[in-house]
Amino acid sequence: MNANNPRDLFPGALEMMILRTLRLQPMHGYALCQYIKRASDDLLQIEEGSLYPALQRLLKNELVTAEWGVSSTNRRVRIYRLTAKGRKHLAHEVSAFERMLEGVTRVLAPAKS
Amino acid sequence: MNWITQLRRRNDLCDDLSAEIRGHLEERTQELIEAGMSPAEAAASAQREFGNATLIEERGRETWHWMWIEDFLADVRYGFRALRKNPGFTIVAVLTLALGIGANSAIFSLVNAVLLRSLPFPEPERLVSFSAHNWYPQGGFVAMRSSLRTVDVAAYLEGEGLNLTGQGDPQRLYGTEVSAEFFSLLGVHPKLGRVFQSGEDHPGRDSKVILSSALWQEKFRGDPGIIGRQITLAGVSREVVGVMPAEFQFGSPKTQLWIPFAFDPRSDTYWQRDWVPIIGRLRDGATPAGAQAELQVFQSRLFALFPGKLPSSTWQPARVISLQQQIVGDVQPKLLILLGAITLVLLIACANVANLLLARAASRKREIAVRATLGAGRWRICRQLLAESVLLGIAGAAIGLALAWVGVAWLKSELPAESIPRLPTISIDPLVLLFTTAVGICTGFIFGLAPALQLSKVDLTESLKTGSKNTVGGSQRLRSGLVVSEIALAVVLVTAAGLLVKSLWQLVHVDPGFRSESILSARLTPNQAFCADFSRCQSFYSALLDRVRALPGVHGAALVNALPLNGRVAFIAARFEGYPQDTGNQPEPLIFDSVITPEYLSVMQIPLLEGRGFTPSDSAPKAEPVALITASTARKYWPGEDPVGKHVRAAWEPQDPRDNHWRRIVGVVPDVREDSMAQTLPDWIAGAIYEPYSAHAVLIDRRPATEMTVVMRSSNDAASISGALREAVRELNPEVPVTEVQTLRAVVDKSVSAPRSIMLLFAIFAGLAIVLGAVGVYGVISYSVAQRTSEIGVRMALGASRGKIQSLILGHGARIALMGVGLGLMGAFLATRLMASLLYGVTATDGMTFIAVAVLLSLVALAAAYFPARRAMRLDPLVALRYE
Repeated sequence: MNANNPRDLFPGALEMMILRTLRLQPMHGYALCQYIKRASDDLLQIEEGSLYPALQRLLKNELVTAEWGVSSTNRRVRIYRLTAKGRKHLAHEVSAFERMLEGVTRVLAPAKS
Repeated sequence: MNWITQLRRRNDLCDDLSAEIRGHLEERTQELIEAGMSPAEAAASAQREFGNATLIEERGRETWHWMWIEDFLADVRYGFRALRKNPGFTIVAVLTLALGIGANSAIFSLVNAVLLRSLPFPEPERLVSFSAHNWYPQGGFVAMRSSLRTVDVAAYLEGEGLNLTGQGDPQRLYGTEVSAEFFSLLGVHPKLGRVFQSGEDHPGRDSKVILSSALWQEKFRGDPGIIGRQITLAGVSREVVGVMPAEFQFGSPKTQLWIPFAFDPRSDTYWQRDWVPIIGRLRDGATPAGAQAELQVFQSRLFALFPGKLPSSTWQPARVISLQQQIVGDVQPKLLILLGAITLVLLIACANVANLLLARAASRKREIAVRATLGAGRWRICRQLLAESVLLGIAGAAIGLALAWVGVAWLKSELPAESIPRLPTISIDPLVLLFTTAVGICTGFIFGLAPALQLSKVDLTESLKTGSKNTVGGSQRLRSGLVVSEIALAVVLVTAAGLLVKSLWQLVHVDPGFRSESILSARLTPNQAFCADFSRCQSFYSALLDRVRALPGVHGAALVNALPLNGRVAFIAARFEGYPQDTGNQPEPLIFDSVITPEYLSVMQIPLLEGRGFTPSDSAPKAEPVALITASTARKYWPGEDPVGKHVRAAWEPQDPRDNHWRRIVGVVPDVREDSMAQTLPDWIAGAIYEPYSAHAVLIDRRPATEMTVVMRSSNDAASISGALREAVRELNPEVPVTEVQTLRAVVDKSVSAPRSIMLLFAIFAGLAIVLGAVGVYGVISYSVAQRTSEIGVRMALGASRGKIQSLILGHGARIALMGVGLGLMGAFLATRLMASLLYGVTATDGMTFIAVAVLLSLVALAAAYFPARRAMRLDPLVALRYE
């Protein structure tokens, strides 16, 4: 594997990022996609399309809701909004992720301790 | 959103998704155009960046598919992986289940074929029989046939022996007499030719015969030109009118041909002899209740029709029952007992696998904890574990099916065909497949549930942090509980098996009243026509006996009309001198009447208790009629008196003062088990006498006995004697078939084959139960030793002796064993009385058996605990302390 390639995401990461983004403000799919790309500075490889199945999963688990609205560019778009359940789930996921990250970091840098 | 709403809204959701994706692509295209691309380039580029839109849409849609199916499949895949990772466990568990399920399916296929499957005739639910007393005199049947309006009836009588001659060696065939409408009532069609027609059961028109497919193939090489041919049966020529298909079977599988009754009102058999069983088919619109009411009215009229006296108890009010019920009535309880017993075996197997799962639980704790951390709820984990056990159950069912297939073949060969109706039809049919699958899935749930609940109750931080092998205390208790119940179930089964073993032991050690060693018997069946002149018959037999006695190695030979325990009895309605007679409705008692030649008693080694035996002069035509009486009969009819010199006679003989039909009793012999090893006399028989083979000795059909069995005491092997016997018979009369050549030992063995096979099945079940129970004890004890290794180390370090350690562990085993045995004895006490009908000479709560079983299973359990205990004792304290 070429080390310079952007990394694939681990399962659940995309959902986590979507939820995190939606916590800032409700958004439609295209905007979400643009935002995540920009925010990650292209370090993570996100296939634009994979956003939509992820959104469907979130919808199904009632972590987000969606309704048709009008975008700033005056298009008819489906705007996603974080639910209370989504907010809680995000918090839980983030803390679990951070614990995991901490563990991984410790293992990767054993000399420091 | 529950799944119903999801289902309803799914199409909307998917449409939204498509619109959304279109919008996304448009937006991106627009942006690229604004950035200076040509519209075509922009669209292509947007597509490229987005990826495969169709695929993505598809994946989006999939999200809304029914979740449980997806989850289920995922669980199954995961379960597969988990099981493959642990092949040792998987193999043991699957084999244990396969044994349990396979045995269950085999027994179930028996139950299915005998009890559940409907009779293979059109509209089987309308076929009926009459309970209570289903036998009617021929005249009664003819009257019934013409008068009943709600039900069509047919009569049949199995077991007609017929000599087939003119087709190579004379052959004895097993025939069934049927009334003309028998086949059409059942709704069966012949393979060739036709069935009997109305009127063909009248004398003069009855010389027809229908062959079974097997006989047609075997004796006539499947000749299609057989229809219309004449064959000679019992010396009478009959026209073959039909051949039945191979699958047709009614009653005994031994039936080789069918001949019509010859209902003849002038014949004395019309009312007296050959009472026949009757089957019926409800007419259109008739109900069983209607038929029953009509039959009861008919029965009351039947008394008036009857020419002789009948006891009022002859016909209890008939109950109309299904023919199926009639056919299987006797075996139903036996089969249900077997099914119950085999279910216990399966439960033991389940407990064992549950135990294995629990033992494995410890090592899976971390895995489960990780899944829980990743957000799987308890129910989700439970479901996942259950999927795994159901997979095990299904795998067990698959292999079990193969075992069941072998088991069914074994049952077919092992069980006596006479004692179980429709035995040849047992097979693994779709219902058995369904049953096996269902049992596989259910057992998966049964043994998987407790471990799944236990395991999904993980303490996350604890398990993740330490990865400790210390299991939750509850698990150990649960495991011990499972083993206790295993032992208890095993005790129930072993007790049942023990009772049956003891019954069989008693049964085969019953003194049958004769010695069966080195006696060969063979049945000779001259045609009735040949014996019409009785003296001709008698001289044939006496010449034969002379020849047989001259054979090398033969020490004695004699004749008897009905060999004991051979399934055939001969009887007369008798009157005893001086015994209070028919008070109105009391019928004449039926008694066994054995017709013998003088040497019979010495060949069979039946001792003489009083008086004298027979001499050749007793058989002379003008000799005074004499008889021997059995001890219990003498006690019954002449209590406290000397029976020698008393008289007995057949009830129907004219009471003419000049007659000499009274037979003078000349001696007393011990009782012989004529009909079954279990009883001296069956309920419907009042006594037994012996008569010399002579023209006086007429049986219930009022003819001198002609079909006789020759018994020979010999030191030579059976084969050479039977060869010489056949040769002698052929020379004296080439038309007499020699059949049923067998040692008396084999006859006695066969008479207990039904209880023996049931006992054998139970012994197998009990063996399985013991092995599974022992494995369970071993597993739970060795697991607890592993658990307590460090504790044992500490104990040793503190000075506990090795013996102390061993008894500590053995004590654990003993507690489990005692609890299991105790519970099991209670269970057995309640359960074994269900099988009282199968027992002989032993009560359902036989103390000796219970004690023996308790001791046996305790020893087995202790032995199973001994090995882990010894391992514990030999632990090196240092290693044990460092353990973990």
